[in-house]
Amino acid sequence: MTALLEVQNLSVAYGAIEAVRDVSFAVGEGQIVSLIGSNGAGKTTTLRTISGLLRPKSGTILLEGKPIADLAAHTILERGVAHCPEGRRLFGRMTVEENLQLGAYVRKDSGVAADMQRVYDLFPVLGQRRTLKAGLFSGGEQQMLAIGRAMMSRPRLLMLDEPSMGLSPIMTQRIFDTIKELQAAGTTILLVEQNALAALALSDRGYVVDLGRTTLEGPGHELLADERVRAAYLGED
Amino acid sequence: MKEWIEYPDGWIWLGQVLLAIAVVIGVVYVLRLGWRAASAFLATRPALDRPLGLTGGVIAVVGALLPWVTFRLNDGPYPDKATLQFFDAPFALSGFRLHTLVLGVLAIVVLFLPLPRRRVLRALGLGAIGIALVNILFPVIDGGGLGAITSDGENFAFGGIATLVAGLLLLFAAKTGGVLEPVPHWKSAVPRLVAYAVLVISFVVLLLVVAMMLNAGGQGGVGNPYAGPIFLSLLAFLAGVLGALQAIGLTTWISALSDQHKWFSVVVLLLVALGLPFTEAGTDYWMTTAANIGVYAATAIGLNIVVGLAGLLDLGYVAFLGIGAFVAANFSGAAAAAFDIELPFVVAAIIAAVVAGIFGAVVGSPTLRVRGDYLAIVTLAFGEIFKKAAQNNIGDLTGGANAIPNVPPINWFGQSFDKPLTIGSVELPSGVLYYVLIIVLVALVMVVFANLKNSRIGRAWIAIREDEDAARAMGIKTGQAKILAFLIGATLAGLAGAVFAHKTSTVAYDSFQFIESVTLLAAVILGGMGSIPGAVLGAALLLVLPEKLREFSDYRLMLFGLALVLIMRFRPQGLVPDRHRRAELADEGADGVPIEELNVHDTPGDEKAVTR
Amino acid sequence: MATLLQQLINGLVLGGLIALIALGYTMVYGIIQLINFAHGEVFMVGGFASLATYRYFLPPSWRSDWWLALPLMAIGGAVVAVVLAVVMERFAYRPLRNAPRLAPLITALGVSVILKEVVRLGYPGATAPVPFPRAFVDHQFRFEFFDGTVNIGSTAILMIVVSIVGAIILQTYITRSRMGRAMRATAQDPDTARLMGVNPNRTIVLTFTIGGALAGIAGVLYGIHITNVDTEVGFLYGIFAFTAAVLGGVGSIKGAVIGGFAIGLIKTLSGQYFPGGTQYDLVWIFVLLIVVLVFRPQGLFGEPERVRA
Repeated sequence: MTALLEVQNLSVAYGAIEAVRDVSFAVGEGQIVSLIGSNGAGKTTTLRTISGLLRPKSGTILLEGKPIADLAAHTILERGVAHCPEGRRLFGRMTVEENLQLGAYVRKDSGVAADMQRVYDLFPVLGQRRTLKAGLFSGGEQQMLAIGRAMMSRPRLLMLDEPSMGLSPIMTQRIFDTIKELQAAGTTILLVEQNALAALALSDRGYVVDLGRTTLEGPGHELLADERVRAAYLGED
Repeated sequence: MKEWIEYPDGWIWLGQVLLAIAVVIGVVYVLRLGWRAASAFLATRPALDRPLGLTGGVIAVVGALLPWVTFRLNDGPYPDKATLQFFDAPFALSGFRLHTLVLGVLAIVVLFLPLPRRRVLRALGLGAIGIALVNILFPVIDGGGLGAITSDGENFAFGGIATLVAGLLLLFAAKTGGVLEPVPHWKSAVPRLVAYAVLVISFVVLLLVVAMMLNAGGQGGVGNPYAGPIFLSLLAFLAGVLGALQAIGLTTWISALSDQHKWFSVVVLLLVALGLPFTEAGTDYWMTTAANIGVYAATAIGLNIVVGLAGLLDLGYVAFLGIGAFVAANFSGAAAAAFDIELPFVVAAIIAAVVAGIFGAVVGSPTLRVRGDYLAIVTLAFGEIFKKAAQNNIGDLTGGANAIPNVPPINWFGQSFDKPLTIGSVELPSGVLYYVLIIVLVALVMVVFANLKNSRIGRAWIAIREDEDAARAMGIKTGQAKILAFLIGATLAGLAGAVFAHKTSTVAYDSFQFIESVTLLAAVILGGMGSIPGAVLGAALLLVLPEKLREFSDYRLMLFGLALVLIMRFRPQGLVPDRHRRAELADEGADGVPIEELNVHDTPGDEKAVTR
Repeated sequence: MATLLQQLINGLVLGGLIALIALGYTMVYGIIQLINFAHGEVFMVGGFASLATYRYFLPPSWRSDWWLALPLMAIGGAVVAVVLAVVMERFAYRPLRNAPRLAPLITALGVSVILKEVVRLGYPGATAPVPFPRAFVDHQFRFEFFDGTVNIGSTAILMIVVSIVGAIILQTYITRSRMGRAMRATAQDPDTARLMGVNPNRTIVLTFTIGGALAGIAGVLYGIHITNVDTEVGFLYGIFAFTAAVLGGVGSIKGAVIGGFAIGLIKTLSGQYFPGGTQYDLVWIFVLLIVVLVFRPQGLFGEPERVRA
C-alpha cells in the first residue's frame, strides 16, 4: 500500500541557509501523523514546502505516489492538501463568512453552503458571529476558524501547524478533540506540534525532527515511551 | 489639417505593428530555445572549451582583419578605417578593429594559461559581441542597409558578422561543462612597496582609460557623426577587458589592496584626477564637462546618503542643488542678486550649504510620521514646489524666468577661475581651476561620506534601510537618523550648488527640474547604491554619454528610463556595488532567475527563500 | 457667490478625474505595496489612444454621432491602457517581486519616463498639446446664481457621473465577488491567500487590468473635457492621484474617491482664493497631505498598518 503523502530526503534552503536538510516521512490514508521537534527544527518549513509555498532544494514529495514538488500552491490544494498555517493567519479584516468562502476558493461544486453549515455546527461560536471581522476574535476562536477554513476545501490531507500555540489548556484540549473528530470523519491529518505529549498521544505515527533532519520515528505511543524523546521534548530527565 | 490621415491607415498601421510584435516575439522565442538547447548540450561536454574557444578567437582575429563596411559614409570611411583592406595596409589597423584583434588574441592566449578560462572567455565574448553589434547596427540603420556589412557587388565586408559569430563561439566555450570556475583569490598580503606600486599603476591606467574614453570619437554632434558608435564600441571593448580582469581575480585583488592602504589610495587617486588636464583630454571642452560631472557627482554622493544608506527615496533632490546655487548667486555680487553684497566664495558656499541643509531637515521631517514610500511623493512635491517658486521669482530671490545672470567667476589671488592657467611653460585650458576645485570638493564629500558610513550614525542608517521596525526595537532613534540623513545630503548638495552657480554663471530655475532629480537618482543606482566610486562613475557615465551621443539626444530621456529598468532587472546592485550590499543582493534576481510568484513579507526569515 | 459655485463645480470635475486615476494607484499599492509611478502615464496614453481611435480607426461617417464615437473611443483608450498596464506588470514589476523595496519603485519611475518619451516622440505632433475633437458632447448648461452665471459642460457632468458610478461598481465587485475576495486576501496576506488556492499572479494582473481600464477611461474624459491632451498631464495628474490615494488611505476605494474630490476642490479653491493663486496650488495640496498624514498616517479611510508576524 502506498502512503497518501510521502516525503523523501527533503532539503529546503533560504538562500545559503539550509532550514531542512534531510527529512523523510510518510502519512498513510486515514492516519494522524505528527512531526515534533524544538523551535527552528524545520517543521514549519517542511509544511510550507509540501503546500507549495517554498521550493525544495532536493528530495521528493509524493502525493499518492505522484510528485507534487514542482506544482503551484493552488494546484496542490486542488489535489486535496490543505494547510492550516502557523499563527492561524486569518484574514483579519474580513468576516468569518468571507474567510470560510476563501477556504472554498478552489471549489466549483455546489456543496459549499452545506460545508459552511457543517463548520458552524462544529464550532457554534463561529456561526453566531459569521458577519464579524475575524481579527476581533480570541486566539481559540481564531484557531477554530482557521481549521474550519482549511476544511472548506474538503481536503483529503489536512496539515495543521502548531494548532495549540498560545491557547489555554482547555482550548488546547478542545482543538485536539476536534482533530480526533476530523480523523473519524475520514480526513488524514499531518500535525506539527511543539506540544509533543498531546500530539503523540493522539497520533498513529510520530517523527522527531531535529536540526532539519528526521531522527526518530515510530508509532505515537512508542515514541511517547522512548527515553530520548522524553528527555528532549517532554522535559523529563 | 494635414496630419488628419484618413481612417483606414490606422488599421493598416495597427496590423503592421501587431505583425512586427509577433515576429519579434517569435524570433526571441526561437533564439531562447536555441540558446537553452546549446547550453544543455555544451553542459555535458566540458572538453569542447578549447576547440570552441580557439575557433572563436581565430575567427575574431580574422574578423578584425576583414573590412567591416563596404562604403564610405558621408565625408569619410565609416569610423576609423572600417573599409580598410587589411592586405593594402597591414599595420594600419586601429580603433575598434584593433580592439577586436586584442580580444581575439586574448581569447586564444587564455586557453593555454592556468586561469579560469570560461569566465574570461565569457567576458571577452560579450565584449566582441558588443563591438560587433555597435558597428553592424550603426551603418545598417544609418542608411547603409544590409549591403553595408555584407557585399555591395564589388566590395565585400564580413568583418562584423565574423566577429559576431566569434563572440557567440566564445560564449559557447564558456558554457561548456555547465559551471564557471571560481574566481581565484589572490593573496593580498604583499609588501607595502609592491602594493603601492600596484595601486599607482592601476590608478594611472585608470586615468589613461578615462582620457581615452573622453577623447574617443571626439565631442559628437554635427561635426563628428561617428562619435556615438566609436564611443559605444570602445565601451564594449573596455567592458570585455574589465570583465576578463575580474574573472582572473585581478580587480578584486586591487580593490582589496586599496582597502588596506586607504589613505594612500585616496591621495594617489586625487593626484591622478588632478593629472587629467595634462592628458589628451585636457581641452576647454572636457574640462568644463568634467567640472559638470564633478558637480553632479558631489550631489549624487549626497543623494547616496539618503537613498543608498538610509534607503529613503528622494525624488526632488535637485531642489537642494538649486537652493545652494540661488543662495550663492544672491551673495555673489551679481547685478540681479537680491543682496547687494559680495561675500567671499567660501563664506557664500557655507551659507548655501547651511540653508540647503535646513530645507533638507524640513523636507525630511514628515519621515517622523510618514512611511518610506509616501516620502517619495512628499519629496517629489517639494521638488515641484521649489521649481514653481523659483519660476515665479519668489521673494525676488530667483529672478524667475530671467534667472540670475552674470554671476561672477570665483576669483582667488587675482586668478579668475574661468581663464586659462599658465604654470611655468605649460598652458592649461580654461576651466581647469574649476575642475581642480570640484575635484577637491568631490574628494571632501567622499571623505565625509566614507566617515559617516562607518560611523555609528551610518550603521543606524543601514539598519533603518534593512528593517526600520527592527532598528527601532534596537534603540535607534529612527526619526532623528532619517532627518539627519536628509540634512547632511542636502548640505552637500547645497555646497555643490554654490560651485555650480559660479561655474555656469547663470542660475535659472529650469536647471533644477524633475528630470534632473531622476538623473541624479539614476547616477546613484547605476553606480551602485551606497557605493562612493559608484556614484562618481554613474554621474560620469550619465553626463558623458549624452555628450557622445548627440545624434541620439532626442532619445536621451527614453534611454535613461530604459537604463533604470534594465539595471533594476539585471544588476540591481549597480556597476560598482557596495561591499555590504553586494552580499545581500547577490542571489536575488541578479543572476536573472525569474521569480514567478509573490514572496512572503510577514516572517522576516522568509524573505530570501526561493518561492514559486 | 457665482464664482464660488463655479469653482466648486470645477473642483468636483477635477476631483472626479483624479479619483478615477487614484483608484488604480490605490488598488495596485494595496496589493503589491508599489507606488506605480507609471500609472499617471497610463492615463496619458489612454488619452492619446482614444484620440488615435477617433482619428485613425473610426470611419469618418461615425465620428459625428457622439453616442457612437465616444464609447468606441473609450474602448480604444481603455484597451490600450489595459494592455500597457498588464505588459508593464509582467515584464517590469513581476521579475522584481522578491527584490529590495526600492527596486520596483525605481523601475516604475523608469517605465514612466519611457512611456512619456515614447508618446512624445512617437505620436504625430505630440511634442505640443494635441487638440481633441470638439465636435461632440459640447453642450453647456448655464444658469443664473445670485450675482453671475454658472457654466456646466456636459463633459463635466459625464466626468462626475462616470467617476462615482465607476467607484461604486468597483467597490461592489471587490466586496461581493469571488475574485474581489481573492484580491483582498492577497492584499492582506499574500502567502495565506496562496494556501487558499488563490493564484497571486492572476489576482495582480486583474488589479492592473482594472486600474488600467479606469485610467484609460479617465484619459478619454480628460480629452473631451479639456479638448486637448499632452504628454505632461500623465506626470502631473499622476502626482495628484497618488496624493489623493494616500490622503484617502491606500487600499481603500472610498478613500481614493473622497481623496480625489478633496484634492480637486482644494486645487480649484486655493487657485482662486489663496495667495499665489494657481502657481502655488500644489503647495496647499501637500500641506493638506502632510497634515493628514501626521495625524492619521494610514490616511482618512485606511486600515492601520498590518503588524508584522
